[in-house]
Amino acid sequence: MTPTTRSAPSLAARAASRATNTSERGSGSRNGRRRAVGLTASALAAALALAACGGGGGDGDTGGTGGGGEGGGTVTVWHYFSDDNQVRLMDEFAAKFEGEREGVTVENVYVPYDEMNSKVIAAAGSQTGPDVVVFNGAETATLALAGALAPLDDYWADYEDAGQFPDSVIHQVEDQTYAVQGYVNLLGLWYNAEILAEIGVEPPTTIEELEDAMAAATDAGYSGITLCGLPQGQGEWQAYPWLSAEGFTYDAPDAAALEAGLARVRGWVESGWLSQQAVTWDQTVPFQEFAAGGVAFAENGNWQMGTAESDARFEYGVVPLPLGADGQVYLGGEGQGIGAYSQNPDLAWEYLTATYLDAEGQLLPVEIVGSIPSRSDAAQDEMVTGNELLQPFAETIETYGANYPSPAIPPESVGDVQLTVGQAWSAALGGQQSPADAAQNVVGQLERLGG
Amino acid sequence: MNHAKAGPVTSTVKVLLTFMYGVPILWIVLTSLKSSRDVFSSRTSLLFRPEITAYVDALDGALADALVQSVLIATGTTALVLFIAIPAAYGLARTRGWITTLGLGLLIVLQMMPQTATVIPLFQIFGDWRLLDHTIGVIIADTALLTPFATLLLRPFFRAVPRELEEAGAIDGATILRTFWSVVLPVARNGAFTVGTLVFLLAWGEFLYAVNFFLSPGSYPLSALLAQQVSAFGIDWPGLMALAVLTSIPILLVFTATYRLLRDGLTVGAVK
Amino acid sequence: MTSQLAPTAAQSARAATGGRRRGRGVSQRRVRLLFLAPAALFLLLFSLFPLLQLLRMSVSAVTARTLNAEWLFTGLENFRRSFDGGEGTDALLRTGIFVLVVTTLGMLLGLAAAIALRTRGRWSAALLALMVFVWALPPVVNGSVWKFLLGDRGLFNMIVLELGLRDSPMPFLYSQYWALMSVAFVNSFAVIPFNALVFRAALMNIPPETFEAAALDGVNKWQEVRHVMLPSVRPTTLVLLVLTLVYGFRSFDFIYVMTYGGPGTATNTLPFLGYLQAFARYDFGLGAATSVVTVLGVLILAAVYARSIRREEAES
Repeated sequence: MTPTTRSAPSLAARAASRATNTSERGSGSRNGRRRAVGLTASALAAALALAACGGGGGDGDTGGTGGGGEGGGTVTVWHYFSDDNQVRLMDEFAAKFEGEREGVTVENVYVPYDEMNSKVIAAAGSQTGPDVVVFNGAETATLALAGALAPLDDYWADYEDAGQFPDSVIHQVEDQTYAVQGYVNLLGLWYNAEILAEIGVEPPTTIEELEDAMAAATDAGYSGITLCGLPQGQGEWQAYPWLSAEGFTYDAPDAAALEAGLARVRGWVESGWLSQQAVTWDQTVPFQEFAAGGVAFAENGNWQMGTAESDARFEYGVVPLPLGADGQVYLGGEGQGIGAYSQNPDLAWEYLTATYLDAEGQLLPVEIVGSIPSRSDAAQDEMVTGNELLQPFAETIETYGANYPSPAIPPESVGDVQLTVGQAWSAALGGQQSPADAAQNVVGQLERLGG
Repeated sequence: MNHAKAGPVTSTVKVLLTFMYGVPILWIVLTSLKSSRDVFSSRTSLLFRPEITAYVDALDGALADALVQSVLIATGTTALVLFIAIPAAYGLARTRGWITTLGLGLLIVLQMMPQTATVIPLFQIFGDWRLLDHTIGVIIADTALLTPFATLLLRPFFRAVPRELEEAGAIDGATILRTFWSVVLPVARNGAFTVGTLVFLLAWGEFLYAVNFFLSPGSYPLSALLAQQVSAFGIDWPGLMALAVLTSIPILLVFTATYRLLRDGLTVGAVK
Repeated sequence: MTSQLAPTAAQSARAATGGRRRGRGVSQRRVRLLFLAPAALFLLLFSLFPLLQLLRMSVSAVTARTLNAEWLFTGLENFRRSFDGGEGTDALLRTGIFVLVVTTLGMLLGLAAAIALRTRGRWSAALLALMVFVWALPPVVNGSVWKFLLGDRGLFNMIVLELGLRDSPMPFLYSQYWALMSVAFVNSFAVIPFNALVFRAALMNIPPETFEAAALDGVNKWQEVRHVMLPSVRPTTLVLLVLTLVYGFRSFDFIYVMTYGGPGTATNTLPFLGYLQAFARYDFGLGAATSVVTVLGVLILAAVYARSIRREEAES
């Protein structure tokens, strides 16, 4: 590939993220860390503001800047969506692009989630593969290091709307951009409004209030909370908010903070607020348990809106996770990249700019699956700001939003770190290890992995 | 075996097994008839309003296409595996020495290979030979997966064929191939049918190769459709269970057919 | 190829029937080895390369970065790393327990089922069909069903709680001690129908005369099993034992669906550890080393198998 021309926005974004890192690493004090979080938030706010001025005119036109507008062609898109709404979204994206570009066909190919990475990597080994890959953004490093993704820097440098995208949705590996997210998914605290009304508490804003509410709910014969305790990446993703609330970060892993986080949630198990069964739950089952009723809270994502609407026979709501001053919530979601062996990368880029990256296109996931647009102009659309359930998530992005995975983790070690922390989380919740042992173990491993 | 009358031990074993295998099936069928909100509610574990939505949803065009693919893959694989494994099992049953030992050891090693570890190298081979995205590629991969298993399993059945039968054939002047075909195979047919059925069922359910070696939309077999019910974003339990029931009906048909054949074949061709 | 050569060989065999027994044996043996040719060719083409790649990977540093590039030879480094942290040793121990449970339950209940289902009748036929049906269901379905059945509000805990045997649910899947037993049980559950079917096929090959003769001698049921059935199905038993062992040693689907190796690492057996290393940590070299260790473990058992086969052949 050609040497990259580094674009101004991505440089600025990286500078911002580096600033965050150094300030966090520099000062172990709570004060310093609080400032660091504030910095992330203000960087995000700045991006939002910047977008608000610059993005106004860009709404109407489609991003046809990628050049190479010759006739037809096929764009093959590999994705792992099988949920009805998400499949519909893929179809709508295909229809949108096909409607705007005559003679072009979009082929959406489903690949099971667990097979996505190995299939993309195997295909790259045989010098073949899709034009566009829609994958778990956190796995960018794996795919990029395996040479399965094409660097996007050239396209990104010429992309006029690049400034609309906050740093956290642009995935860079070793100074090259490989994927951008069209939307953000993140965790919030779902609550069963009827149970809260019955036990007479307001949706919690601090962790103490949450614990009091769970205790009251359990006394009234309900369960306190459901969450994912699986010993893998999903577990780490759900553990991180609680661990970071006690001051744990990957920049300067502190065993005491980690132990405090693990011990707190293990305490929920011991108090009977959280079923120990959580260690067998992925992210789906605990929400289905919540939606079946009888559980006061669920730590789960914005993508569960459809399930909540169809399955929950009670009033419910969402508030940001009550994480105090230090807490962080990962900004997850699917990354969209171009396959390294795409026959027609220009067309693939045009597909991305017409769908995932387009201001109007970004409103489709909002409407269909309840994701939060990554563009700041789209994020200010009525559809987002006027949605009661989305609002707390948007608020979370501002207050707690954190890059996923943490930039402090070296790209090769992302999978390793997630598994290690996920296993410790599960071991502590399931009583296989004491929080102290689990924390010691993790910090030891993190040191070895150069975190 | 008409002499066998069910004693108390036999009955106990049967009751235990009926319970052990009946309960999960019952659970599967019940879940497939629930609405997704009833799956997790304890009040509705047995009493609920049955729905056939999951079945209606499952029965669409994609199911028919996938069914065709599954039939092609499973029959192709069964035929190819039997074509390769039957002679190999016979060869290994009737020879001894280091080649036999080595062969058996290698088969066990191949049977031990984690399937996940074979995906990437096979992808390379199929890429070079332009077999990717073709049904025949998946058939070949499944055959490579199931041949060691089938050969190991068939060998004892061929060893059970009395040598005298073959020697009689040889004295009659028949070639080894002919003796094999007209004397040995009919006697070992019981094993061949059983192993063939097992291979068919395994190929029917095989999933990893199918999702990795097909690249274009609409070529996945039923086993991959099943996987679509489970995603990181939600699990459609009624849909999964309904599809599991639907996709296993052909299995039941195949099994019942071979079961009859097995039983009748035995009474007719019992070893004299 | 085979069909061309077979007649010549047969001619020579016929020529040899008169006197030189030894010569005939050798040429027949050669012909019979030709029966191996299709399998040898096919496996050479499609199985040997993956096997060699796995072996090469186990002695190289292979990560996501290098998978599609040059692999650096590192000798036994991966094996050392696997066992240094104690991860591999723990997993080996768990695998041992797991395989022991799966093999014992799988073989005993498989044989018991085969004997019980030998009888004719609707119940036997239906039960066998049911078992095969369940066996053929994908692990994600069987695993999920058992996850529900063994859960806090699953059938077993409902019974336990209703009967007042305990006041809290049994932690089948989330206690570090129970979880391994539970997944081992479900794996046995999944292998029993297969073993039953194969045992049954072997039992049906026993000539009816044998049973009749035994009946004349006035043996009881247990003696019939012990002295008539077991010796007759010995070759099948041996191969099933190997296949069940192999199944236990490579099984990871149910662990994946039911516990994902948890709680913590309590159900990380070698195959699952290998999977995690290769596909969650993207340390393909380490994962390959773990797989090779597993294969070696089985090879030792296979050597025992080969010896008993040789003994069996010496007897025949």
